[in-house]
Amino acid sequence: MRRMQRWIDERLAVTKVITGFLDRRVPGNIGWFHTFGSATLFLIVVQVVTGIALSMSYVPSPDHAYQSVLFIDQTPLGAIVRGVHHWSAGFLVLLIGLHTLRVFVWGAHRYPRELSWVIGVGLFFVILGFAFTGYLLPWDQKAYWATVVGTNIAGSAPLVGGVVLEFLRGGEQLGAMTLARFYGIHVWVLPASLMILVAVHLFAVIRQGIAASPRRHPILAPDSALSRRENYELEYAAEKQAGKPFWDALLKDAIVALVLMVAVLVLAVVAGAKVESIADPNSITYVPRPEWYFLDMFQLLWYFTGGLEPLLIFSVFTLAMALFVLVPFIDRGEERHPRRRPVAMGLAGLVVVGVLGLTFLGATGTPAGSVNIPPTEGMTEGQLAGLKVFNDEGCTACHQIHGIGGHTGPDLSRAGFRWEPADIERQIVTPKDEKMPAYDHLSPERLDALMEYLVSLK
Amino acid sequence: MTDESVTTPETTPESAPEDELEATLTEPVSRRTFVLRSMAAIGGVTGALLAVPVIGFAVAPALKSGAPVRFLSTSVAPTLRSDTWTRIGALADFEIGVPKYVQVERHVVDGWVQENAPVGVHVVRRSEGEAVVYDPHCTHLGCPLAWSEGSGAFVCPCHGGSFGPDGVVKSGPPPRSMVRYETKIENGDLFIGALPPGA
Repeated sequence: MRRMQRWIDERLAVTKVITGFLDRRVPGNIGWFHTFGSATLFLIVVQVVTGIALSMSYVPSPDHAYQSVLFIDQTPLGAIVRGVHHWSAGFLVLLIGLHTLRVFVWGAHRYPRELSWVIGVGLFFVILGFAFTGYLLPWDQKAYWATVVGTNIAGSAPLVGGVVLEFLRGGEQLGAMTLARFYGIHVWVLPASLMILVAVHLFAVIRQGIAASPRRHPILAPDSALSRRENYELEYAAEKQAGKPFWDALLKDAIVALVLMVAVLVLAVVAGAKVESIADPNSITYVPRPEWYFLDMFQLLWYFTGGLEPLLIFSVFTLAMALFVLVPFIDRGEERHPRRRPVAMGLAGLVVVGVLGLTFLGATGTPAGSVNIPPTEGMTEGQLAGLKVFNDEGCTACHQIHGIGGHTGPDLSRAGFRWEPADIERQIVTPKDEKMPAYDHLSPERLDALMEYLVSLK
Repeated sequence: MTDESVTTPETTPESAPEDELEATLTEPVSRRTFVLRSMAAIGGVTGALLAVPVIGFAVAPALKSGAPVRFLSTSVAPTLRSDTWTRIGALADFEIGVPKYVQVERHVVDGWVQENAPVGVHVVRRSEGEAVVYDPHCTHLGCPLAWSEGSGAFVCPCHGGSFGPDGVVKSGPPPRSMVRYETKIENGDLFIGALPPGA
């Protein structure tokens, strides 16, 4: 071993490079939260390795894609490799989100690391692109319908939307061309972009050093006679002085990588990666639902209606993306400690609550016509008849009663307590709100029964 | 993709990189500058020669359909398209005013896959001699529409959109009516033709 090292060093002098890299000093207060970044990188490596393995048994054509995925699952260890690819994809989305949040809270996107943020946001979008294109590949029901919805959202851009949609689908229809394109994008275009962006992102981290955790009081008082750059460099040198060698910080990263590897492996073995039935473009009873990391966006689409709706979707998504990229140019004060950035922390909190809330609503909201409210004890015959009308008319698509049903309309669990009977009846037959269809076709008997039921909810 | 051939030249030791850069930028066009600029030009042309066919090939399928460019782009049904007339069935077999979902075999061209594939449609017979045929996808984001007897509407399970039997939006986010096939009736048989481009 030693001799081989000497032999190589005599020619390439690698040891010096490696020890220099390991021994360079980094700020001391680097803790577990800093491992989100390296964990993201680790999962990217896992994705690349398992993805390459899967590509050797997968056929990107609708007449064989599904069968080849089933074949992978029957091949020894195939289900595990696919399971690891599936689960680490989910963890990857989660960890890149946590890493982004950590960077924002620590103020590490500020001077002089603005470009690292911008590249990082690029990586975030590339990862979501991987998720979106990867999902179609098994060509099962979930894959097909998620892609129908996803390409339609991409197609909602004003003017260019039609061309974008047809570019993604390879024409108007969703079929063989779409699958092959998504495969090409998933295994060539995105990985190439990913590698370039990761290289630049890491270059920036090594060149600038890891951002120190924010201190309420800097080690050195800033000298107003010096430039921002000079003050920053003095402070960072002091941080490194008080810090530790890089190898000392690396151990935590290794432990997190091991824990993640075990976690995805266990999930792959125990839960596996589900495949639904083969994509059926003609099934009209299927209820499309995206993977959890797109549920928030999917849920958001409930709230826009009317003719300008595509424009609204597009504007909201574009604005959100632009703001995300521009964070370091908007939030640019000198103060990095979260306690001294109450507005920034408040906004970050709102975004987190918004994403979690929408994801929760998306995950628990029940689709149209698929659920019925069960009767409760002590209901009169009239109320039971009303409940049947409620269920038959598909009211649960939009209204919730005791935790069952959708979220578009108001929760009716206490309808009889909240509103006057006359107002409820008027709302059913001649609604003021354009989101609610008029149920003016109900026979008087059925309407009466429905009213009896709703009024009884207190 | 193409690699930009212009790279910042390696300057002498890092003593004063800014002065060095300044000097490089202000000096009159030297042979070095000329060579670098020529390389940039050659790199640009080489890159374009590679990029034009590649990008053209990738984008071509997007321009084939001839769908009109609209300011407000809307969803496009994922349905496999066919240009031929396809018989749905005898008109008399459909009850007036009661929507019915049927699947018919159509000859479709899906990239390299050419086959007779089933295509589902909602048929609504309006009168003795008249029927409309809808594509079963919501005009919001393309989720599948099923007829709900109870609410008298085509209901979308994604975001609560619903359409009346006339295909007009009753509730929810869909921006326009359901997509209709071109239809004809011959000898009492109902046929469907193409979907409107970009619908």
